Amino acid sequence: MAVSTSGAADEFRPWPAETAPALVLSQLDGPGIDLAEFRGKPAIVHFFATWCAPCIAEMASLNALAATGKGGPAILAISVGEVDSRVRNFFRDRPVAFPILLDRDRGAMKTWQVEGLPTSFVLDRDLRPALKAVEPLDWMSPLVAAALAALPSTSPKSNRGEKEPPP
Amino acid sequence: MISRRDMLKTGACAAAASVLPGPAGAQVAPFAPKPGSWRDFEVATRLDLPANGKAQAWIPLPSMREDEWIKPGKSAWETNALSAEIVQDQKYGAALLHLVFKDGETAPRVEVRSGFSLRDRAENLATKSAVPALGEADRKLYLEATELMPTDGIVRETAEKAAAGKTGDLDRARAIYEWVVANTFRDAKTRGCGTGDVASMLRTGNLSGKCADLNALYVALVRSVGIPARDIYGIRVAPSKFGYKSLGTGSDVITKAQHCRAEIWLDGYGWVATDPADVRKVVLEEPPGNNTVDDPKVVAARQVLFGAWEGNWLGYNAAHDLVLPGSSHKVGFLMYPQAEVAGALLDCLDPDTFKYMIKSTELTA
Repeated sequence: MAVSTSGAADEFRPWPAETAPALVLSQLDGPGIDLAEFRGKPAIVHFFATWCAPCIAEMASLNALAATGKGGPAILAISVGEVDSRVRNFFRDRPVAFPILLDRDRGAMKTWQVEGLPTSFVLDRDLRPALKAVEPLDWMSPLVAAALAALPSTSPKSNRGEKEPPP
Repeated sequence: MISRRDMLKTGACAAAASVLPGPAGAQVAPFAPKPGSWRDFEVATRLDLPANGKAQAWIPLPSMREDEWIKPGKSAWETNALSAEIVQDQKYGAALLHLVFKDGETAPRVEVRSGFSLRDRAENLATKSAVPALGEADRKLYLEATELMPTDGIVRETAEKAAAGKTGDLDRARAIYEWVVANTFRDAKTRGCGTGDVASMLRTGNLSGKCADLNALYVALVRSVGIPARDIYGIRVAPSKFGYKSLGTGSDVITKAQHCRAEIWLDGYGWVATDPADVRKVVLEEPPGNNTVDDPKVVAARQVLFGAWEGNWLGYNAAHDLVLPGSSHKVGFLMYPQAEVAGALLDCLDPDTFKYMIKSTELTA
């Protein structure tokens, strides 16, 4: 699927944090979600709002990434400071293949030190901080795909004490 | 990125005092609001909530009192709520009617009628007068950051650039006003009056929106350089007597006529009226629409709306980040009726589903 994300960036910046904050939020029309449950595969944590025009194009791009098939990162999109019904109406017209979380009181936005929307974080499969984007991203660009593919399969720290896999 | 294609040219204000063409070629008064006689109004807000569980509602009441331009009157209501009380927020003094309906109420409803008086305002910015200083508590309040209006980082950097080379609060505030008018635009697709997430606007370079975006941006920028400012959230209540269709109501039903305006505090002048968002509204909406920046109506609005505004607009309050009493829900500002049913906040930007209707009446003796 071709998605136009005119003006979107295609490069991440480093996310130098030692650890990622916890993330436990209500889900739009679904059970609550804890980021910790996604350990074992890379994850994208994406903060957005339905009023934010650049976020709308980026959401389509994220959904295109989700549609590329299995093995990709888990995607958690977090609506910031919005009324549930407004978010529900928005996605009724633009369904996506990943859960929408609700940061109703902007608490998660503060915890994750998000200064503006959209902002995205990428965590490796051990849910350790890897990459960050503070502007709209074209998630289907080759550079973004390469950066996601280059995520370490396991972090050095979690490798300690583990046996090397057999050759 | 910021589009500068339609940047307004400075020094093009000569047409501001010209007589504007009205409907069918009729001449109307030049856009020149001046403090004159007071006009009395009543606004009636009617809510009919869905009967899907326990309901609460919060309705903003006129709570700005400034002897120069607004006097709130009494509010009265009819409702089948279990309780209805006026609550005043401690920080900003914003008044609201809080209603709690009994669980199982089949048709939660309320109609609130609020009286108030308005008049035009205009500041003579050529001459300072003996205005008492702004109190220390108010100065602190109207300089502080809010959740959606940070005053550091990219906000301060932008304001410093906009006001570069200017000295004194008046010239710095005016330079920032000109920057906002020149660099933002009104987006008809924005729902309601917008959200006012200033940092997101500046970081993405998407400086579009409506009044709650554009005037919040102005207030945040001005605060960031140490000039007290406030965004007043309210609603238009009457047509413009100066022939500006876009700056007044089209009928007595004002359900979607919410509008916020900005004030800046200038020593020697007091609170000064400004409304950069309405300049952008004139550009986009004043018939025939999509006006050029050198259109006389746009030029006049741009000149007048730094220092004056017409008294056809009710300011409810200047509150931010308000936790609704009796609820855990918080709103960035209180300009719309709010309601919660079965714990979920209703979409205040969807009055037909919510649902609510607001009507305005000018009271004549």
